[in-house]
Amino acid sequence: MDDSAIIDLFFERSEQAIDELDKKHGAAVRKTAGNILQDRQDAEECANDAYLAVWNSIPPQRPNPLAAFVCRIVRNLAISRLRRETAQKRGGGLDLVLDEMEEFLPSAQDVEAELEARELTERVNRFLSTLSYDDRFFFVRRYFFADAVKDIAAAAGQKESRVSLRLFRLREKLKKTLEKEGLLV
Amino acid sequence: MKREEAFDALSGLDDTFIAEAIRYAPAESARPPERIAHVKKRIITLALAAVLILALSVTAYAAISAMSHRIPDPEETFRITWNDGPGGYIEWTDAKLVVTFPDTAESKEIEFRSGWLPEEMASLQTDDWRGRLTAEKLCRNGGGGNKAVPAYDDMVNPLQINVYSASQFNNGGAMLLLYYTPEEIIEEHWDELNVDVMRFHTTQLREAIPEIDLPERTLVQDQLILFNPEAGWIIRICGEIGMDQLIKVAQNLEIRETGRVLTYDDFESHYLFIDGGVG
Repeated sequence: MDDSAIIDLFFERSEQAIDELDKKHGAAVRKTAGNILQDRQDAEECANDAYLAVWNSIPPQRPNPLAAFVCRIVRNLAISRLRRETAQKRGGGLDLVLDEMEEFLPSAQDVEAELEARELTERVNRFLSTLSYDDRFFFVRRYFFADAVKDIAAAAGQKESRVSLRLFRLREKLKKTLEKEGLLV
Repeated sequence: MKREEAFDALSGLDDTFIAEAIRYAPAESARPPERIAHVKKRIITLALAAVLILALSVTAYAAISAMSHRIPDPEETFRITWNDGPGGYIEWTDAKLVVTFPDTAESKEIEFRSGWLPEEMASLQTDDWRGRLTAEKLCRNGGGGNKAVPAYDDMVNPLQINVYSASQFNNGGAMLLLYYTPEEIIEEHWDELNVDVMRFHTTQLREAIPEIDLPERTLVQDQLILFNPEAGWIIRICGEIGMDQLIKVAQNLEIRETGRVLTYDDFESHYLFIDGGVG
């Protein structure tokens, strides 16, 4: 079923909408939640919360693309849940992602005034638009979906070491870009 | 900015980047957005140029279908995997019917509009081309409100039409009937649409729920599966309005190709539930 038909089901308030959403995008939703929460049951509950949020958002919204919409919701819910429930559980897969991000994202010590999250997002979006498809795929899978490097490599049919190297270079490139724009000192 | 806040900030990444990263498909997605928009326009133009309006006659004859079906053992397990992790799958048992299709490299995507619907469904009769049609909103229990049709008061699914692609079911994939029990399965070939047809009546016994004063009841539906082996598309028509009316709906469908071709890799799951969401 295509996304517009699924959205039609939400507009019709048919509970089949949830089933169809889950069939079409459930894998991506669960994986996103699982990457962040590192717990299958938590991820499943988070996915269900995301579906409820989608149910409450459509209508009036008619998101396009639907996959990005639901993945963004589940990511936000997973982050909130992680903060709420597992503040002491450091050292998981997400921690590695955050460690890497520290290499290129400004911290309070690096900038004179704290960068607004929205502004940072815009800069990163602009940076992504300059990348090749593969590089953009690696970056978004790692820093939006918090995928393990081995999973990204498997999805792209490439060696893990190559993906790690590409991610390292992308971090360096973004850091230089942000420095050039005066956002990092 | 704390690193968790930085991670939050990336929640605002552009929809296009997130959507293209859902699955690895460089050949389709590597183009810049302007190019993607251009290709979409071309597909729509192709679809408009290639309208296929196919009328069906009422004649049908028995034939060996390209579709296959079997009643699985109740213990037979169907594993639907969405990732390689330990929890990345669901297992189903007690399926009532398995419908399979020959491996199909490419399925032509189609859409349809109804040339005939029962008069109670007049509000659904439009010129729109669709990939799906449902009449559940005409039921009192389907949120029908003032559109509810008294004749459908006791129904939950008067009519539903869905379009599928055979290429989804390669490598052992199948359509599964989970809850309803099929009765005699009739196989035909309809020349005019060049479709193999499988049709059957189904029943499901629902136990009483005394807590909400719901008595035991039997739900019935009829199912029609139309498969065009040359183009690789499938149309499923089901509902409670009776087989005769479902056949008439099927025979009056107008069908056209969108110009898009779907392959195995376009689908995340290679199983579908014929009665998904109903049981």
